Amino acid sequence: MNLYEHTIIARQDTSPSEIKQLTEKYSKIVEKNEGEIVKTENWGLLNLSYLIKKNKKGSYIHFKIKGKGNVIDELEKNEAIDKKLLRYLTVRVKKFDLEANYFAKREDDEKKESYKN
Amino acid sequence: MPKRQSGNKKGKQSNFAKLSIFQPNKYKFKKTCPLSAKGAPAVDYKNIRLLKKYMSENGKILPSRITNVSQKKQRELSLSIKRARNLALI
Repeated sequence: MNLYEHTIIARQDTSPSEIKQLTEKYSKIVEKNEGEIVKTENWGLLNLSYLIKKNKKGSYIHFKIKGKGNVIDELEKNEAIDKKLLRYLTVRVKKFDLEANYFAKREDDEKKESYKN
Repeated sequence: MPKRQSGNKKGKQSNFAKLSIFQPNKYKFKKTCPLSAKGAPAVDYKNIRLLKKYMSENGKILPSRITNVSQKKQRELSLSIKRARNLALI
């Protein structure tokens, strides 16, 4: 069994309910292939640093998955077809970092900066 | 190896330049790697604020001879910067 961090970026015009559907859809795929989702993080709508398919923003969803390699094969196969998604990234890690959440902090900072301006 | 050469060059330019060729090298001014020290933050593609310290304003990766990052950590850095680029975080 391996540990994976999996991130997907959805288009900017997906509604919150659609994002929930997406997370459920991919969680089911993981469970079907005998994988286990340790944690899901919703990073929210973030600014992309460059345009992807004419999108300026994207909603990020982050999974921490415990499972075998075939889980990832199946996930990426489905995500490559999905038109609601812009990108996906899978990283194999040795240990999950369950405490640090870099993106909750970052949003606060951005808000502070905008107030200053 | 090119790395060793650059290190020698730096030694000549610094304030602690060698007085003679036979002087031992241990007096040379040397900074330590900021990421290998105890309590240093882990290099991670999600930690954008850390990664941005080691990038130029144009988004290029800074060479380790400027930032004094060790070879091992520089490899980790460049990999995680590339991952963050793929996710359009940087």
